[in-house]
Amino acid sequence: MDILRSIYEVTGFIVLIALGVAALEGYFYYHFKFHDRSWFFPAALLAFPALALAVSAAVTGGFQPRLWSWFLMAELLVLAGFKYAVKGRHTVPYLLLAPAFVGLALLLVYPFVFEVYLSFHDLKLTTIMMWKNTGKIPFAGLDQYVKVFTTSPLSEVSFWALLGRTLLWTFSNVFFHVAGGFALALLLNNAIRFKGFYRTLLVIPWAMPQVVAVLAMRGEFHSQNGFVNIILSKLTAAFPFLASMGIGPVQWLSDYPLLTCTIINVWLGIPFMMVVILGGLQSISSSYYDAADIDGASYFQKLRFITLPLIKPVLMPAVTLGTVWTFNNINVIYLVTGQAGGTEQADILVSALYKAAFTYNRYSYSAAFAIVVFALLFFISVTYLHGFDAAKEER
Amino acid sequence: MASVQFKGIVKKFKDNLVLNGVDVDIKDHEFVVIVGPSGCGKTTLLRMLAGLEDITGGDILIDGLRVNELHPSKRQIAMVFQDYALYPHMTVEENMSFALRLRKTDKAEIGARVDEAANILQLQKFLKRMPKQLSGGQRQRVAIGRAIVRKPKVFLFDEPLSNLDAKLREEMRVEIAKLYQRLNATIIYVTHDQVEAMTLAGRIVIMNHGIIQQVGSPIEVYRKPANLFVAGFIGSPTMNFMHGKLALDGEHLRFSSGDIKLTIPPYLLHDPKKHDGREVTVGVRPDDVLVGRTADGCSDKVDGVLEVCELLGHRENLYIKVGETRLLATVEAFFDRSPGSAVQVCFNYKNMHVFDKVTEKRISE
Repeated sequence: MDILRSIYEVTGFIVLIALGVAALEGYFYYHFKFHDRSWFFPAALLAFPALALAVSAAVTGGFQPRLWSWFLMAELLVLAGFKYAVKGRHTVPYLLLAPAFVGLALLLVYPFVFEVYLSFHDLKLTTIMMWKNTGKIPFAGLDQYVKVFTTSPLSEVSFWALLGRTLLWTFSNVFFHVAGGFALALLLNNAIRFKGFYRTLLVIPWAMPQVVAVLAMRGEFHSQNGFVNIILSKLTAAFPFLASMGIGPVQWLSDYPLLTCTIINVWLGIPFMMVVILGGLQSISSSYYDAADIDGASYFQKLRFITLPLIKPVLMPAVTLGTVWTFNNINVIYLVTGQAGGTEQADILVSALYKAAFTYNRYSYSAAFAIVVFALLFFISVTYLHGFDAAKEER
Repeated sequence: MASVQFKGIVKKFKDNLVLNGVDVDIKDHEFVVIVGPSGCGKTTLLRMLAGLEDITGGDILIDGLRVNELHPSKRQIAMVFQDYALYPHMTVEENMSFALRLRKTDKAEIGARVDEAANILQLQKFLKRMPKQLSGGQRQRVAIGRAIVRKPKVFLFDEPLSNLDAKLREEMRVEIAKLYQRLNATIIYVTHDQVEAMTLAGRIVIMNHGIIQQVGSPIEVYRKPANLFVAGFIGSPTMNFMHGKLALDGEHLRFSSGDIKLTIPPYLLHDPKKHDGREVTVGVRPDDVLVGRTADGCSDKVDGVLEVCELLGHRENLYIKVGETRLLATVEAFFDRSPGSAVQVCFNYKNMHVFDKVTEKRISE
């Protein structure tokens, strides 16, 4: 019975996780309980690694010096943490947070540290067997970082061209997200019939799984069977002057890949901005508009002097998030152009990074590349948030 | 400055009739307070004058000019809102000069007007501050300053003091009274607080259920309330009401309501025969309910039981039960009786009001 077997396996996995968390809690519990006793430091350094040694020997059937030394280091780290950070107060919250901390450390801190390690070495298709057999990778110093800026991550496009393209992509996307979202939010903020219905329709692109939405839209940009080209050809047939202006069906995916990606991503990103801006608009007290009416402000003056300054506090974090998401948006680019020998004309930094790592197998190079991208994004976010703080001070 | 006329104003929100034929003439330089309980339509009336609400029926005239379709900014009015509506992202100075800047008034003129208003309201120190850095009273003054700067024909105040605490409210009330003396402007002031209405107004407009109940000077509406609603609304503590029947007893009219039996003097109701058998409500203000030594000289005394005493300092509120009727008497402190004791009560006939029970209109002189 296959189904019974899968239930058994899933249950086993859940029980294993529960046991792991319980062991972790027990381990921390003794630390929390006795960490301020004088005997605890040497005892813990002996008892816990010994226990770990026994368990690992029982599970793997032999002495694992690497594993054991890792554990010893972790134990030292934990003990140091207790000695200098916890200091007896608020032990229960720390105890309850401990499994989450460990989980985060495994899922975020460890990969990041490993990434940094990789970026200073040389792991690629020709050295990976050496790494597997000996556990050693040639040290490369800053070579990978130099290569990031001097060689192409793909077959032809340089880093600088990619960076320029990414900035253009990010800026144009975020601009249209905000402009479109703002326009729709202004419309929805009026007293109109079937408002809830329109709002639901407009949120759909955001509510759908991105992969489904992108692949569906990609189909619509198909040169013969896509909705966009069919409409364009019908339009030019009905209104010949359009054709004389140079409007007609085009090869979207092969001739204008970045434009296609941008259109799709704008469509995908508008709902989020719309929802955020609508929330901001609805929080503005109507008496400001009354006062502005009496003061004699026109519609656009009200928009400029009342609405925009007052939604700035909700808009700024949304724009920061939108910028980071768009900068990092591999989904749309990869799903529209990247599969199986697709074009490089639409690649931005992160999609080039993905290809460098998993199509061209340049692991260390892409690790360095990723850290450069990370530094760029970090800089952008900090600048935005700084601007946001300054705006808040102003109010 | 200007006069304002409301002619047969009707306002409907869908099927809900909010104002039903409001007619008021407000003269030049007049301080008119529109007062009424919440939901009576007073703020709607003010917002219609400001141009913030559409007019369903009737005409509004400012200085003889029909303004029904005129944009708010063209009506030469200025409004002070209940929540002040100061633009939170602009300094006090920018708030006050916003309207002038929109009109592209020249800079020297703007500066002069803002300084003048800031001088009147003692805001010079705060011109560079943001609204959130000001206290409630200061914000209120900025909101008034924003109105002054525009030099409007009519000032509109929409419950301007209701967001302030009691002490500040008293101070600002005096400030507004002083401001009126200084500006000598036409002011229309909406409030639900009858104390503000009594103290500030040149004339009071009392509204209820979208209808004007009475228009008159504060002393008129206090001394001669036109109907039961006005009698109960104006004056604090509230007037006592006794429901009963009039009957002719020889030459005199006798009023009886349970255990209370009174002779109604002819100067209150002329032509006693006409009122024989009429169902009426008699109203007496707590000050005119006489208890203890002041009641000694009265003829029609009624017996009651003292239920609760409230000492206010120089005055004392006495809650007295006469038969099934509860009466409130306000007397000089100290009324030296303990709750539960029997007291004798009589009324000051000169200030007694008689209303018809059905029409609720005043029938006494």
